[in-house]
Amino acid sequence: MSTPIVEVENVNFSYHGLTVLEDVSFSVQEKEFLAFIGPNGGGKTTLIKLLLGLLKPDSGKIRIYGTSPEKAAHRVGYVPQDVAINKAFPISVLDVVLMGRLRFHGKTRLSKFDKKAARNVLAELEMLDYQNRRIDDLSGGQKERVFIARALATDPDILVLDEPTASLDTTGRTELYAILKEINKTKTIIVVTHDMMVLSSYVSSVACVNRSVHYHDDAEITEEMIQEGYHCPVELIAHGIPHRILKTHEDEP
Amino acid sequence: MIDALQFEFMRNALFAGFFASLICGVIGTFVVVNRLVFLGGGIAHAAYGGIGVAFFFGVPYIVGTLGFSLVAALVMTAVVLKAKSRADTFIGVLWAVGMAIGIILLDLTPGYNVNLMSFLFGSILAVPNSDIWWMLGLSILTISSAVYFYRDMLAISYDDEFAHLRGVPVNLLYFFFIGLIAVSIVIIIRVVGLILVIALLTIPPFIAEKYSNSLLMMMILSTLFAMIFNLVGLWLAYTFNLTSGATIILVATGGFFISMIIDYLLPSDLGISQG
Repeated sequence: MSTPIVEVENVNFSYHGLTVLEDVSFSVQEKEFLAFIGPNGGGKTTLIKLLLGLLKPDSGKIRIYGTSPEKAAHRVGYVPQDVAINKAFPISVLDVVLMGRLRFHGKTRLSKFDKKAARNVLAELEMLDYQNRRIDDLSGGQKERVFIARALATDPDILVLDEPTASLDTTGRTELYAILKEINKTKTIIVVTHDMMVLSSYVSSVACVNRSVHYHDDAEITEEMIQEGYHCPVELIAHGIPHRILKTHEDEP
Repeated sequence: MIDALQFEFMRNALFAGFFASLICGVIGTFVVVNRLVFLGGGIAHAAYGGIGVAFFFGVPYIVGTLGFSLVAALVMTAVVLKAKSRADTFIGVLWAVGMAIGIILLDLTPGYNVNLMSFLFGSILAVPNSDIWWMLGLSILTISSAVYFYRDMLAISYDDEFAHLRGVPVNLLYFFFIGLIAVSIVIIIRVVGLILVIALLTIPPFIAEKYSNSLLMMMILSTLFAMIFNLVGLWLAYTFNLTSGATIILVATGGFFISMIIDYLLPSDLGISQG
């Protein structure tokens, strides 16, 4: 195996005196499709913000491409969780995507080349027809594509998504994961999700985040893995275990 | 109204209204989309402390108010950035303290009494030429900053976390823009008064927001609305011999309610987003 692009070693993080993450260690390889799963409040979003350099660990080390998350920030594309933070904001689809080109060449002003790049990404995601629409007028799935386009416009090596399918229906989810699978051919993907149904068909590894992190370097979700690995109450319908719904784990280790 | 233009005070009033609309269209858009209306009000009221400082210590008016408002604005910005949840309370405190200091200092200044009414509603019909030049300079500064930093302004207003990740100096720009708000408010207050500043900063952008699909369009529409309100207000004030500042505000408020009624009657025809 080649050198990992993301290395997390013994990371601890607390917020207002409450431990959120404890002794977290794992690594991510090039072109991996890693899913973070776990209960709400288990620290998934915190972990992502640590990887992005938005938060700093209390102790431990995070290296991305051998350097600090802050220095590697330009190689990471981020799709935040709540893309409707600023409702009723007058902004067009193209303007949202153009945010991804900010400081791309270290300049404050954008060029024609940036606009072309933004349009290309929108075309790839079949959203070019909507470029002049106000973002508010789009459906949840279309908005999600726009925010993925914004992240891709930064030309990242790693794409990080925080619950991209939270507001989508089943068809929307399947479509979105098909897009991510395509992107995964050239980029590493880290996704926070509650979608157990898509796990084994798309992702190459799973990490359960619930204060500590249990990492599984496996595309298949086996019953064994679930019993040994998951220490978090999740409902799971996986392809590895056809049509089986697992009950909530009551026994925390 | 045309015959009124032979008077210099009327021409200056129109110029003042024009520049105030231009500045408020750009700055007001930033204020409204960032939900900084309360902060704007805080800066405007704190500026009263600056008037007191200016008269008590005998420094020029513009130095006193600009200095006082800029300091108040920067302190407020620091609090907004550090502790967003308590920012409104803190702004409320500075708001009151600024006004109180202003009034006490004016009490203590021997033999001089500033008319509070002219501070609240301004005196757009008594604008000296020097103030027109101040406003022209400020308009150039405001518009060139907005043009140069347009993308950054858009990004920090819409999603500051993402902007930060892209390497945009979010906090620095925040201070810069709020400093610009403070400077604008101080200079426009002198011309049109405290209450009209807040009205011009908020009402035109609020109406424009619904019909705009970009920040730029919102700025242009706000400026146009503000100009219309100013013109109509001045015309009514001149014709019926009313207080100009208050008339302009009532016209703007009228525009505000008309836009709400139009929205109510035509809910979806104008691409109005339901959020």
